[in-house]
Amino acid sequence: MSLKPTLLAGALALAGAFGAAPSYAQTEVKLWHMEQPPHRVARIQELIDAFNAANPDIKVVQEPQSWDQVYAKVPAAIAAGNPPDMLFAIPDFTTVVRKVDQLESVADFVKELDAEHGFVPAAVEPYSYDGGVWAVPLYNMALSLWYNKKMLDDAGVAPPKTWSEWKAAAQTLSKDGIVGVGLPANKQLYTDQTTYAVMVNNGASDLFNADGSIAFDNEKTVGAYDFYKDLYQYSSPDAANWTWGEAEACFSSETCAMILQFTVISTYDAQGGGDAANLGVAPVPHADDQADSSTIAYSNGVMFLSKDPAKREASKKFIRFLLQPDNYGKFLTMEPGLFLPVTKDGAAAGTFWSDPLVVKYKSQVEQMIKNADRGMLFGFTGGHVFPAIGAISAQNMLAETLQKVVINGSDAATAVKEGAAAMTEATK
Amino acid sequence: MTPKTLRPARRSAGLLPYLLIAPALGLLAATLVIPIVSAVDISLHDIRVIGAAGPFSGADNYLRVLADPTFWAALGTSAVWVVGNALVQTLLAVIAALVLDQRFPGVRIARVWIILTWIVPTVVIVIIWRWLLSPSGGLVNPLLIQLGLIDRPVGFFASGPMAMTSLILINSWRWFPFVAVMLLAALQRIPADVYEAAAVDGANPLQRFFAITWPLLKPTLLVLTVMGTLLSFNVFDVIWLLTAGGPAGATRTLPVLIYETAFKAYRMGDAAAMSVIASLLMIGLAVMLLETLAPKEKRS
Amino acid sequence: MKRGLAGTAALLLGLLVLALVVLFPMWAVLSSSIKLPREIIHRIPTYFPKSFTLQHYQKLLATSDFPAYFGNSLVVALLSAAITVALATLAGYAFFRLEFRGRELIYRMVMVAYAFPSIVILIPIYLMFAKLGLIDTRTALVIVNVTFALPFSIWMMRTFFAALPHELEEAAAIDGASLFETARYVLVPLLGPGMASIAVFAFVSSWTEYLFASVLILSDAKRTIPVGLSGIIGQYQIDWGLLLAGASLSILPVVVFFAFVGRFFVSGLTEGAVK
Repeated sequence: MSLKPTLLAGALALAGAFGAAPSYAQTEVKLWHMEQPPHRVARIQELIDAFNAANPDIKVVQEPQSWDQVYAKVPAAIAAGNPPDMLFAIPDFTTVVRKVDQLESVADFVKELDAEHGFVPAAVEPYSYDGGVWAVPLYNMALSLWYNKKMLDDAGVAPPKTWSEWKAAAQTLSKDGIVGVGLPANKQLYTDQTTYAVMVNNGASDLFNADGSIAFDNEKTVGAYDFYKDLYQYSSPDAANWTWGEAEACFSSETCAMILQFTVISTYDAQGGGDAANLGVAPVPHADDQADSSTIAYSNGVMFLSKDPAKREASKKFIRFLLQPDNYGKFLTMEPGLFLPVTKDGAAAGTFWSDPLVVKYKSQVEQMIKNADRGMLFGFTGGHVFPAIGAISAQNMLAETLQKVVINGSDAATAVKEGAAAMTEATK
Repeated sequence: MTPKTLRPARRSAGLLPYLLIAPALGLLAATLVIPIVSAVDISLHDIRVIGAAGPFSGADNYLRVLADPTFWAALGTSAVWVVGNALVQTLLAVIAALVLDQRFPGVRIARVWIILTWIVPTVVIVIIWRWLLSPSGGLVNPLLIQLGLIDRPVGFFASGPMAMTSLILINSWRWFPFVAVMLLAALQRIPADVYEAAAVDGANPLQRFFAITWPLLKPTLLVLTVMGTLLSFNVFDVIWLLTAGGPAGATRTLPVLIYETAFKAYRMGDAAAMSVIASLLMIGLAVMLLETLAPKEKRS
Repeated sequence: MKRGLAGTAALLLGLLVLALVVLFPMWAVLSSSIKLPREIIHRIPTYFPKSFTLQHYQKLLATSDFPAYFGNSLVVALLSAAITVALATLAGYAFFRLEFRGRELIYRMVMVAYAFPSIVILIPIYLMFAKLGLIDTRTALVIVNVTFALPFSIWMMRTFFAALPHELEEAAAIDGASLFETARYVLVPLLGPGMASIAVFAFVSSWTEYLFASVLILSDAKRTIPVGLSGIIGQYQIDWGLLLAGASLSILPVVVFFAFVGRFFVSGLTEGAVK
């Protein structure tokens, strides 16, 4: 079967779906990503279709995966010799992939893109170590404190800035079935993130010392865990089983007055009434003796796994296309408000700011971008990256330590000591 | 029963039986034996991430696993899980089978639709129960409050014992109807005149149950118990998708630990060693159950 | 046998509890899948919908490839069922009708197949299938599903053969029928209900399988319902309406299917092969 390539992206997509091959040589590149919700897949497909239409010699195909499985699937796929050509990743996952596969540094490519678009340095940093750059940053995510303005006003509470204000607010808000602050205690990535967001606000940001030994067991960490436990009494009874979705549902149903979350905008808009004036967002509160708030931020990037030069070149071409401000704005708004720009010209992209949800929640999005400025990621602070972070993160050791404290009622100091021992074991 | 000499075993035309079992055995050999041999091989090497090479390390992985308290804790959790499931499922299934064995209007429909929960994919079961049990939006908490059984929302996965109980009930919810239908099949094979004779003898229903029904159910129940033990020991997806072994490791059964060790801690060699130990334990358990519990019955 | 008043009461109570346990969750899912989002997540739930919308179904069908997932699940389950029945019947005949050396031992070995945690063979199977080019194919799923349905199916065969009088085959043999003819005209028709039970068992096992399908299938177009559905659970947000619509849509076809074949499954099991 042979079809004349048309300029219509839709027709091309259709042809692709039926396995039609145009009559000339085509480089097919396979993209794996974990943005599995259907509307995100659809938005990525739109961009892919546009790219494929403009580059008839290249065919990009996407295969969405889930975070649950990808830790097993990618190493297995590499071992079996059929990995994807492009793989979206977060910094700690990159360290895992590097253990199974010889990656080529993309430093030159990042430099080229940086000259054109201007990367936010904090986005490149977690991928730059061991003398190379291992992924191209694509988007940023940062945790913020989301609150229901009306519920806070009704209770006579101001948005908290410090830990003592935060605790007082949670206490006042918790009545008549209202959850003062929804905090998770699941052994899962979300809890790692909220835990770390509390830790960095007590100045406990480094997991590693400069020599690679574990720096987790210290007073600041213990203080953070103690405070988390304090707040957790105002969380939901099922918070031990929460992932991101439950927290958002709790917030959107006006059961939770405050939660820590990357974004709630699209859920809040679809399910929570969508009154933009009632949706509050603020930096994660900081310990009383700290000067300013910090948070956890993820720079998401794309890795090139292909060894074939033609496929590598085609992959690069696709990423160049994606980072063009107009396309980039569309790309980021696949989940409006969740994905924040990592390039300077992307931050100004018209297609980003004209997205209907971004228009409606403009002040919230601006606040999120501001919060992301002071973002860090566990294991990627202090200018050193140690491969053990892959196992520490994959085993959710921050969350596991938290469970010991808030669920088993262990003493924070003991639990942190045990956590540090487990981390040390993982470095071996 | 036909006397042995008349059985058509004479048809054992040499190779025929082997030819008949060959496809089934061939498939099982290819998809089970080869992977297991490769798991044994991995367990003898210091392999971290799957696919990465690793040096031969002899029994090191086994020694490390056996010295690890987490492994023994997971084994204990698995035992609780298996016994809990066996008890709940058997109890519910026996009751359901006895009810469905009666004659009443609509019994045919009831016998078919009792099995509804078994045909629901695991992922859907997870979605259903995660939603039903969630304090925000779920129906179970408000229902229990209305019935006056609790006065404030309960976190069904909030503590270790609660999470384990919830998981066992959810898994049993899925499987008990299947066991019930299997038992019902066995019940239906009990000829009615046996009961009638007993009724004439003046036995009350309870006596009839223990004198007639129970002994006749036992062989089926035995096989179901053995298979059920193996199957529920191996259950991974429900636990993983609902609690991921939490909270604080309270529902981390051996398969969950194996998965974590392989894909989270990146210690493939250790995970393979655990798998081999688990398989040996299960085979031992199955053989033991069959040997000690099985009435020495003859095949048809 | 007559039931006393107490017996009837116990029966009714038992039926009521069973109905509640099985049907209440199903009702909750179905009825909530047509509620507006705000009603679904409202703090005070409703047992009967106050609002009506098909938006979750529309969203599901518009944004995910649900029909494709459905088709894949169906093809894989039907093939798995057919192959399982064929293999189990052949093996069942050998095990329960013929004498041969090693019969007892082989039978027991087949039964302990379930002793191996599926987690154990997941990765070796992946690597093996990768070498054979079976990754991301529905064939791979059929192979795995048949493997896991087979031992139990063979065990089920045992009762069906037990209920089948040996005299029938002997009579056929005396009439000069060949083994094939005996199988074709005597055994298969009489074993029919039993084979139907096994087919349903294998179908449902395959329909519900998640772990292997999630790892062995890579592309969206080849996903089965459980894997496709786990995909829209989403990592960062939960759209309960969408999920409940997905749950309903994955339950309904099996319910329809079961409405036709369910009685064969149950009667195949309960009435044995010969009535």
